[in-house]
This record gives sequence, structure tokens and C-alpha cells, in this order.
Amino acid sequence: MPIGTREVEKIADLAHLKFDPQELERFVGHFQQILEYFAQLEAVSTENVESAHQAVEGKKRATPTREDEVRPSLPVATALDNAPESSEDHFQVPPVIE
Amino acid sequence: MTEFGQMPIKQLRELIQRRDASVTEITQSFLSRIRQCDDKIKAFLTVEEEPALAQAARLDRQLASGESKNGLLSGIPLAIKDNIVTQGVRTTCASRILENYIPPYDATVVSRLKESGAILLGKTNCDEFAMGSSTENSAFFATRNPWDLERVPGGSSGGSAAAVAAGEAPGALGSDTGGSIRQPAAFCGTVGLKPTYGRVSRYGLVAFASSLDQIGPVGNSVSDVALLLQAIAGSDPQDSTSAARPVEDYLSEIDQEVKGLKIGVPKEWFGSGLDGQIEQSLQAAIKKLEGLGCSLLEVSMPQTEYAISTYYIIAPAEASSNLARYDGVRYGHRSADQKDLDSMFKSTRSEGFGEEVKRRIMIGTYVLSAGYYDAYFIKASKVRTLLRNDYLEAFKKVDFLVGPTTPSLPFKIGEKKKDPLEMYLMDVYTVTANLAGIPGLSLPCGFSQEGLPIGLQIQAPYFQEARLLNLAHALEQELNVKRPKLPI
Repeated sequence: MPIGTREVEKIADLAHLKFDPQELERFVGHFQQILEYFAQLEAVSTENVESAHQAVEGKKRATPTREDEVRPSLPVATALDNAPESSEDHFQVPPVIE
Repeated sequence: MTEFGQMPIKQLRELIQRRDASVTEITQSFLSRIRQCDDKIKAFLTVEEEPALAQAARLDRQLASGESKNGLLSGIPLAIKDNIVTQGVRTTCASRILENYIPPYDATVVSRLKESGAILLGKTNCDEFAMGSSTENSAFFATRNPWDLERVPGGSSGGSAAAVAAGEAPGALGSDTGGSIRQPAAFCGTVGLKPTYGRVSRYGLVAFASSLDQIGPVGNSVSDVALLLQAIAGSDPQDSTSAARPVEDYLSEIDQEVKGLKIGVPKEWFGSGLDGQIEQSLQAAIKKLEGLGCSLLEVSMPQTEYAISTYYIIAPAEASSNLARYDGVRYGHRSADQKDLDSMFKSTRSEGFGEEVKRRIMIGTYVLSAGYYDAYFIKASKVRTLLRNDYLEAFKKVDFLVGPTTPSLPFKIGEKKKDPLEMYLMDVYTVTANLAGIPGLSLPCGFSQEGLPIGLQIQAPYFQEARLLNLAHALEQELNVKRPKLPI
């Protein structure tokens, strides 16, 4: 499945990324090459095969669920320490509503 | 190399306990090795010199007054990969987007190391967000292979493996999503273990691909790696995917006989593409297993040829979702180029992420997007099941699998950087263990004519770390690899 500049731009938009024209051109080339390689999977028969979404399944996994209990979390001031911009006890972002 | 440089951790512990060397002396010696050679190797992003010495002095005082807790790693200085969070110590993931991030908490593995008495020497370089196989994708600088400074140390945990190989730290932690502990361990002539998924808590490991990521140790020997695993393994309420199984005693089982074990040699792992010198070295090492009383069996892992495609669909898909959190709101870089919230997100992420990270976010977004989800993501998830079935079938017949860790010797800096696909193909022998969730270990089995290390990989069934370390230790003793003199 060949992929073009417009489609790559659309994906970039979905991923909240932007590229200058030169970067974009390079990206499209690599993207095509990688997707061509992925096409080898079409040869694998996966009829009646379940998807694996976890690394270890079944009994081996042994990862029990737990009660959803309220536990102590980070103090607000500590959580804000790394914020690029904050105001009182909030993270600050550019205006969302005019 | 200093007198403590390649000393087994167990021996360092004994020196400290017998008061033949102080914790300060030992810590000082690793710090001075870092000062002496790290401007060339560049394994560290952050060196915690003063805090490490202060902690060493504290431990020395406790030893003098008889108050020492005598933990498993009491007084041992260690290096930690910079994608594992350390409270109050800058953690960058080798990314501009986290350049000034100071974590407000410790990863569970870091708390456990501290509880066992270890000292944090510093944070090691890696490929940005652990995405890469050469440590060239670090936003700050490339790490160099201590065996040849013109070559890569492997990646993504290249800083951890290079630091251990160069004697800058007696041990280190890395993370392994598709080979990121085992491949640099092989390239640097060290031992690296990726434990079973769930054996070690991922709490505080900056997420790349959550169904594949696992933290593990890098050391100079199998027994050092066993000791480090002992300190960090076990279930953790903070990580619901950590396994609630008891942790075995890795050290007491390490010396057991290996006679009678059945070792599988997958025929697909020795096909074209494997370097001739690596193949030769491996065949000689595998023969030694027979000498130890193990029997060898050829097995088949038919999905091997699809492993790279499967991995490079699933890992970027998970990464594109995990890395959505870097938006310039709560932590990390925020772009000054902003008109509104949306442009702030885009500028922040475009300025903060490097090329490879962007590429993987893009691939991941694409394979998850409407119209392509079934063709790529679901297809790869099904092939992942088939790949896992290969292992389940193989482990019905044999106790372990043995083969190469890498298809090539450490390559030159810049050699593969321009061709992403060529770099991805370097991971062919390691990604399958992550996709299946099983443990894998790389240990040195020889050196090439050029004096470059060669790694051998052993893979085991789920949660069989004790037996895996036992076999690796036996083979390590039997091989007794003669190391050339380190050129630095």
C-alpha cells in the first residue's frame, strides 16, 4: 500500500506533530519502505487465530485484580513542580475559549 | 581500569563486610574511572558524585558503629538507565522533551536497590525513549563502545552496558522492549538479562510499549546479574502487570549441575544474515553445552521471519499512545511558539521529540488509524499469537533455546543511522522474547578477530529465571572467555 505526502500529513495531524517540507519528504520515503516490508505479513495465514494483546496470558500471568481503594497521592505542589506554567494549584495552558 | 573495575559484586561486598575496603574508597574509585574515561565513552547523562559520596560516607559510619543493615547490595554503586525515574535526580529518557524533568518519586526498582543498600552513581545514556539499537538516537550525544570507540555500544541501554564494560560501574539497570538490554550487553561483552514480563515491576519505568517493556540487569558476570535480579524482582501493588509469584533464590541455584538438560537450537536463527564469525563462535559455544552433559536438539521457530514486522507494528502502536502524554502541560518542554492549545501541543512535540521517536509515533498512529487497524495492528497481534505458539511448542520438547543475540558485530557509528529499516533488522533475534513475554539472557561467548565481543543468547520458558541463570553460569564457567585488553 503506497503512502503519499497528504496521507503522512494527515497522520502527523492526528499525532499532534508537524514537519517542514524537507523532513516530510524524508519521512514519506522511510514510511513507504517500512510499509512495504510490513506487507510480508499478508502471507501469514491468521484465520481463526486470536489476537494477543498481553505478553503473558492464562495461568502464567498470575496478575490478580485488586479493590479500587483510595490511597495517598502526590501533594499538589509537588505535582506542579515540573509544570512549564502553573497558577495557584492549577496547570496553566493557552486560552481554550475566546 | 581500577582495582575494583571488573571485581564481582559478591567480592566487593566481602571487602566491605571485612572492612578491607571502605564504601567510600570503592565509590570513589568508580567515580574516578568515570572522570578518567567517560569524556570518551559518554555512558553517563548525569553523574551523582556528591550524593553518592555522601551516601557512601553514611554507610561507612553505619558499618563502623555496627548499625549496618547488611543489605544484599550494601555499599555497591550502580548505574541506572535514564528512562527509570529517580526521585530528585534528573531523568531525561535522553529526550529534549524531558531535558529538565526532576521526578517526584522513585521507580520501584530504584526503591528496592536503595533498600538493599545500593548507591546511585548516575544515570546512563540511551536511545531517546529507548527507541533504537545503537544509542545514537540520544538527543544529547552518542555513547561509544569501550572495545572500539568508533563503534556503537548497541542500544537502547547502550550507556548501561558501556559503563559496566568500561569499569565505570560494577552493575547497572537497563530496560528491554525488543532487545535493549541483551543487544548492548552482547556488543559490549557484558551479561544482560531481560526477565519474564511481570517478573520486575515497571512502576517508574517511562513507558515505551507497555506490553513489551521490562527492566533488567547488566553485569560483568552471570552471578552479578543474578544478584541484581534478586534485589529488584517481585510483585508490586503499583504495577498491576507484575506477577504475584514468589521470587526464587537465584544465587543458591546458580551452581547446580546442568547435566541432562535439553537445549533447542532453532534452525531459523542460523540462516543467512548471520555474521560468519558470530556463527563460528556460537557453534563452538554450543558444543561446550554438550560437554556439560546437555543434549542438543534442532527445533523450528517458523514465525521468526515475521518477527520484525510484528514487533515494529505493535511497539510503535503502543508508543504512539504512551507518548501522547508529552503535551507540554504537566511536565517537560513547552514550546514558546503557540497561538492556542492545539498549536502549543504540535510545536511542543515537534521541537521536543527526535526523528526516530517521531517516526515511531507516526507508524503507530498509522497502524491504529481507521482503515488500517485491522490490516496492520490486528494482523500483527494475531501473528504475535503464532509467534508465542512457536515458543510453547518448542518448550514442550526442550528446556531452553540457544542462539545468537545479534546478527552482526558492533557496527560503526553512523553506519546504519540513515536507514531505519536496516537498523530495525538488527533486532531479529531479540524481539521474539518480548513478543512472547519469556526471559532471555545474553552472555559473551567469544571475541572476533577485530577484538569485538560476541554474544550468545539463551531463552527460557516463563518465570524460569533461576534455571536460566544456572545454565548461563555453567556455560560461562565452561567457556572461560579470554578477554583482550580493553583499549581504554
